[in-house]
Amino acid sequence: MKTHLKHLAVFVCICVVMTALLAVTNAVTAPLIEKNQNAAANQALLAVMPDGSGFETVDMAAYELPATVTEVYKETAGLGYVVKLTTAGYASDMVIMCGVKADGVVTGAVCLSSNETLGKEKTYGENFTDKDAAAVDAVDVIAGATKTTQAYKNAVKDAVNTAIILGGGSVDIRTEEEILADNLDAALPAGEKAFDKVFRVDVFDGIDAIYAAQNGAGYVFVVGEQFVGVNADGTLVTAGADNAAMYADAVTRLQSSTLEEIDLTAYPALEKTVVKAHKTSAGHYVVETKGAGYGIKGGNEYHPASNEYILVRVAMTADGKILDCLTVSEAETDGLGDACADESFYGQFVGKTEQDYTDIDAISGATMTTDGYKQAIERAFEAVKLLSGGDA
Amino acid sequence: MEKKTTGSVLFNGILKENPVLVLILGTCPTLATTSTVNGAVGMGLAALVVLVCSNVFISLLRRIIPEAMRIPCYIVIIAGFVTIVKLLVQAFFPDLYSTLGVYLDLITVNCIILGRAEMFANQNPVVASALDGIGMGIGFTLALGAMSTVREVFGAASFAGIAIPFLEPYKIEFLTKAPGGLLVYGLLIALIHVITKGKAPKKTSFSCASCPNAGTCRTGSCAEKGAES
Amino acid sequence: MDMFKTLIVILLSSVLVDNYVLSRFLGICPFLGVSKKLDQATGMGIAVTAVMLIATAATWPIQYFVLNTLHLEFLQNILFILIIAALVQMLELLLRKVSPALHKGLGVYLPLITTNCAVLGVTINNITDGYSFIESMVSSLGCGLGFLLAMVLFSGLRSRIDESNIPAPFRGLAVTLIAASFISLAFMGFGGIVDNIFGGAAV
Repeated sequence: MKTHLKHLAVFVCICVVMTALLAVTNAVTAPLIEKNQNAAANQALLAVMPDGSGFETVDMAAYELPATVTEVYKETAGLGYVVKLTTAGYASDMVIMCGVKADGVVTGAVCLSSNETLGKEKTYGENFTDKDAAAVDAVDVIAGATKTTQAYKNAVKDAVNTAIILGGGSVDIRTEEEILADNLDAALPAGEKAFDKVFRVDVFDGIDAIYAAQNGAGYVFVVGEQFVGVNADGTLVTAGADNAAMYADAVTRLQSSTLEEIDLTAYPALEKTVVKAHKTSAGHYVVETKGAGYGIKGGNEYHPASNEYILVRVAMTADGKILDCLTVSEAETDGLGDACADESFYGQFVGKTEQDYTDIDAISGATMTTDGYKQAIERAFEAVKLLSGGDA
Repeated sequence: MEKKTTGSVLFNGILKENPVLVLILGTCPTLATTSTVNGAVGMGLAALVVLVCSNVFISLLRRIIPEAMRIPCYIVIIAGFVTIVKLLVQAFFPDLYSTLGVYLDLITVNCIILGRAEMFANQNPVVASALDGIGMGIGFTLALGAMSTVREVFGAASFAGIAIPFLEPYKIEFLTKAPGGLLVYGLLIALIHVITKGKAPKKTSFSCASCPNAGTCRTGSCAEKGAES
Repeated sequence: MDMFKTLIVILLSSVLVDNYVLSRFLGICPFLGVSKKLDQATGMGIAVTAVMLIATAATWPIQYFVLNTLHLEFLQNILFILIIAALVQMLELLLRKVSPALHKGLGVYLPLITTNCAVLGVTINNITDGYSFIESMVSSLGCGLGFLLAMVLFSGLRSRIDESNIPAPFRGLAVTLIAASFISLAFMGFGGIVDNIFGGAAV
């Protein structure tokens, strides 16, 4: 037993001696190792800010930054900031690192990780060097990768905004949806922030868009930059605004408007092109027409055909002026043709007539989809002509 | 053990009992770190430092360390020096550290070091143990250097990171990968056989004494292990 | 589901792609030494897998709850190797007491495992790769199974080598290593497979 204890004591002593030696070494090397690790981390940051001398982490909690920002580093000499962002690309998240000078000019951007189809985002960042927020939008898109491009540009803009905010400036970092929601809420607080866009089936001259409160409290009319709230009884939320009578009239028409379904069996010519048709109480027409987009036309042997038409709902006056337009359903290619479901595309047709409806911006990289969509609109014109008693 | 001169102790490890090519010890780092010359030489030198330090330390304590507890003691001493070397490499040669990665930690279980502690340092005075460590360490480094030279020059058309342009079109990338390491090692051993005409001491002739596991090994598995190579 | 997928990827990668023996060269010594007969190879492989699992179960909590909280990360190496050595000793004693039959089969390999770099390697790698406890255990299981697989495959190959007429300089270890090189080459083929099956989930 005694020898066992002695053996154990020797062992413990050796352990203690080695631990002490290690502790001393650790005390000497720990600061150096930390410095090395920082230098290695800085190496990556230097890629997007080549003139930087050193970097330190910024505590993000102290600022209200865009949601995409994950890490921020400040250049120690005050040159600017390096911002790391995670944004949703086409396939999955993209991690982008962007250097921005204090005056908001981009010094470099790289994509640290991504899983995009084309892989072109890897070098896309080079295009942003020396651009400021305004010039970012003008950077050439990646051909055939609208979503990736947009995500990248938005990330760079977020980075620029971050640098401006950290530099003491203020920037509107809200997304377009958030801005719209805020404006609607301000115009009609009784709507409790829940609004639906109204599909206009009547003539509302001078009004760009109409939103209806989901709880029936009233409507918000968008006229240019202005948001006008109107209660359900037709009175203005903010008294004294111009054109009170116009808004009251609009609300009355919105509330009284009824739709009457047209029996399409009476129109065999429309059998293949029109899915549904309604006539409004004001004498306008609402038709849902089919257009053959890429899903059908482009569906040849080497591309899986979705066999889905683009279904478009069009409201039109009897004399052929488009009141409103909406994509009901589509099965176009993700990231390309599916842009036809965005309001920025179909909204272009509002106010157009048969003479000028083709005069719109095509969806980049999706000619088939654009053509199919125009076909659906053309069929709507034909249908309304026939339904209103003219000849198609 | 026969009487040893300073010189013979030193050169023994470099040539006659080269740990890698003759004794076939420390095969893991030999294969894993020899895809580049820099990594291999770095590994060799790191092992050399650990080997010398642990040899000296163990030799100093050889009368204190109890026989029954010697293996745990050796392990602690070696692991301690490995960590010291690792911290130093991490602090002063960060590039080498990222190249070697976990293999730096694994010097702890490198058979050469425990083997020398068991075979030499615990029976010999400090100076001889230090020389033995230096010799074995140099032998290890040279063998790793030779192997990595073959792999890097013919596999990556460069030497120690410096490109050799005229070899570029002929490089055999396979050599820098895992199977290439095994292949080159096998060929080098065959080459040593040819040079020594099979007279080099075989591992068998060291029997259990050369096996680092001998201390804990109480069964016949060790003999079987030694008998075959 | 995602977690399950990650675990499967870790398991398959460590068995096939990053096979410890054939691609990372950990545990080469026993691989060359004990793979001569099938029963030895199997016994050693199972013993290594068991020790890897037990060692990971012991070292992971120690790293995260003791070393990291006390900022004693520099003791990792010493502590891990001591834990492994102690565990191996205890396992051997336990086996001898509880199941002499099993001890006869596996016990002889246990002492050889203390200095098996694959065991220390897997415990340290689990920490450096930042695996969670479950992931670490799965990774250890994978590495152990990969080791077993390599041992068993290779023992079959070696019995063929022994019966062949090999040029004198290549006899013994040289031809063994070259044969191992070919097996390793075959395993390289798994590289793309796991990535492709599980797409982006591969690490």
